[in-house]
Amino acid sequence: MSDRPHLLEFERVNKYFGETHVLKDIDLEVDEREVAVVIGPSGSGKSTLLRCTNRLEEIQSGEIRLDGTPITAPDADVDRLRQRIGMVFQSFNLFPHKTALGNVSLAPIEVKGIPESKARERARTLLERVGLGDQTDSYPSELSGGQQQRVAIARALAMDPEVMLFDEVTSALDPELVGEVLEVMHDLADEGMTMMVVTHEMGFAREVADTITLMADGELVERTPPEQFFDQPTTDRGQQFLSKLL
Amino acid sequence: MGTSHSSHDAEASGSTQIASDETLRRLSMAVAGAFTLLVLAFLAILFLGAYIPVESFGEGFVDYSLLVQILTPPSGYYTAFLNVIGVVVVSAITSVIAGIFVGLGRVSKTPFTARISRAYVEFFRGTPLLFQLIAVYYGIPALFGTGNFPIQNFGWPAAVIGLTLNHAAYTGEAVRGGIESIPEGQMEAARTLGMGYVQSMREVILPQAWRNAVPAVGNDMIILVKDTSLLTVIAFPELISQWQYTYSNTFDAWTPLVVVGALYLLITVPLSSIVQRAGSVVETGDRR
Ligand SMILES: Nc1ncnc2c1ncn2[C@@H]1O[C@H](COP(=O)(O)OP(=O)(O)OP(=O)(O)O)[C@@H](O)[C@H]1O
Ligand SMILES: [Mg+2]
Repeated sequence: MSDRPHLLEFERVNKYFGETHVLKDIDLEVDEREVAVVIGPSGSGKSTLLRCTNRLEEIQSGEIRLDGTPITAPDADVDRLRQRIGMVFQSFNLFPHKTALGNVSLAPIEVKGIPESKARERARTLLERVGLGDQTDSYPSELSGGQQQRVAIARALAMDPEVMLFDEVTSALDPELVGEVLEVMHDLADEGMTMMVVTHEMGFAREVADTITLMADGELVERTPPEQFFDQPTTDRGQQFLSKLL
Repeated sequence: MGTSHSSHDAEASGSTQIASDETLRRLSMAVAGAFTLLVLAFLAILFLGAYIPVESFGEGFVDYSLLVQILTPPSGYYTAFLNVIGVVVVSAITSVIAGIFVGLGRVSKTPFTARISRAYVEFFRGTPLLFQLIAVYYGIPALFGTGNFPIQNFGWPAAVIGLTLNHAAYTGEAVRGGIESIPEGQMEAARTLGMGYVQSMREVILPQAWRNAVPAVGNDMIILVKDTSLLTVIAFPELISQWQYTYSNTFDAWTPLVVVGALYLLITVPLSSIVQRAGSVVETGDRR
């Protein structure tokens, strides 16, 4: 256990795409074992926030720290930091030329230098954990969207990350497949994984989130426990957003 | 030709259809038939001219005693044939390897690397292979000053260098096309797992890009076989130079031509079926 209070810290983070100011002075802390659900209208900067967290995008000012280590420092060891931050995408992005097992074991073998047999054994365990113990040899094209997304979660977990980022991971799924993915995320939360979850699934947010973070126009508008948010948001914009949902 | 005003046609009126499918089918059959007849007639004159009672055909065009002489080992044609296969195999390997690097350079995020690769491709696609072969074979030794060039039989190395420089440009473009067809998310997913750029390229992007590039690279390999004919200008003992040798000794153009044509096809036809099979394996094996 770290003696630091927060696992992830965003301090006055600003991000521009050309002229567009996409993240405006974001201050945010995510505690260890916290499930931080991020919601907000389309274009409010939720994906950008997550992508800056593992440096798929660069910020222009401010700082993001992981367990006290500045992620956004120019001299940061990006590849090493990314190993500590798992990310799951809306579009799965599984490697189509590798089996489920190959997808999950690739990075541990390549990056951590874990022996192949050990990495495959571990991958099997992870796939079992997401309910795909019988699909280890399937290629992504042979799996349903829900199964692919669960493989993607297992793939991220294989690097033993300290925090997991989920960017609308159920948005591309047929409605009947959403549940199986949310269930895996729910289990993960119960096991104490620190998670930042961008989602439109308000049921999940209400049930699993420790905090709800509302973004609008690149600003962090409100950050409250879910009970309070869904009952009576403290800000006008929170109330507006909620009224549109209902 | 049959009437084209069927009831079928009436239905299609108003569309841009010019002729009915039936008419087109008959037309194409007629063209193909005429073409086949012409080719057969030409081959008959070529091979059986001596037996056709037309004055100008004379002794015919293929001299069978010369043909036997050409095909009896040891014959320069076999050596030339093996030389062509040898230089194709070596140059195919080197140009594919070099081409992968050219392709990687083309998609590089470093402007310098990207520009250099671009310039390379523009130069070697923009100048004739014949020019490049001459530049290598005559130009490089000239850089050393008269009589100072250390390599004795420069024909072979020059052939491989010239063909590789040229075909690496084409293979490189095929590889670039393959890489660019892979969705951005693949690289992001690999990088997110902590894999470096090179690792991600090697393990994730290139294996997929390669599948997309196989048909284009295969076609280029067939062109490579035919490009060996240009090596005749750099004194590389290949098939065209054998033809020249026979022709200047016998003044018989057709007999050695027939042999040379057959020997090229002996390489390209099997190669093309291999390329086609590789392409279809890639298609059915595509796990997307
Ligand atoms: N690569 C990019 N180049 C330029 N502008 C971008 C880029 N990516 C995102 N943006 C802009 O940044 C803003 C925030 O985008 P972002 O994708 O973070 O929003 P979001 O909250 O995730 O929206 P959604 O709910 O639709 O996913 C938008 O205005 C978007 O147009
Ligand atoms: Mg988004």
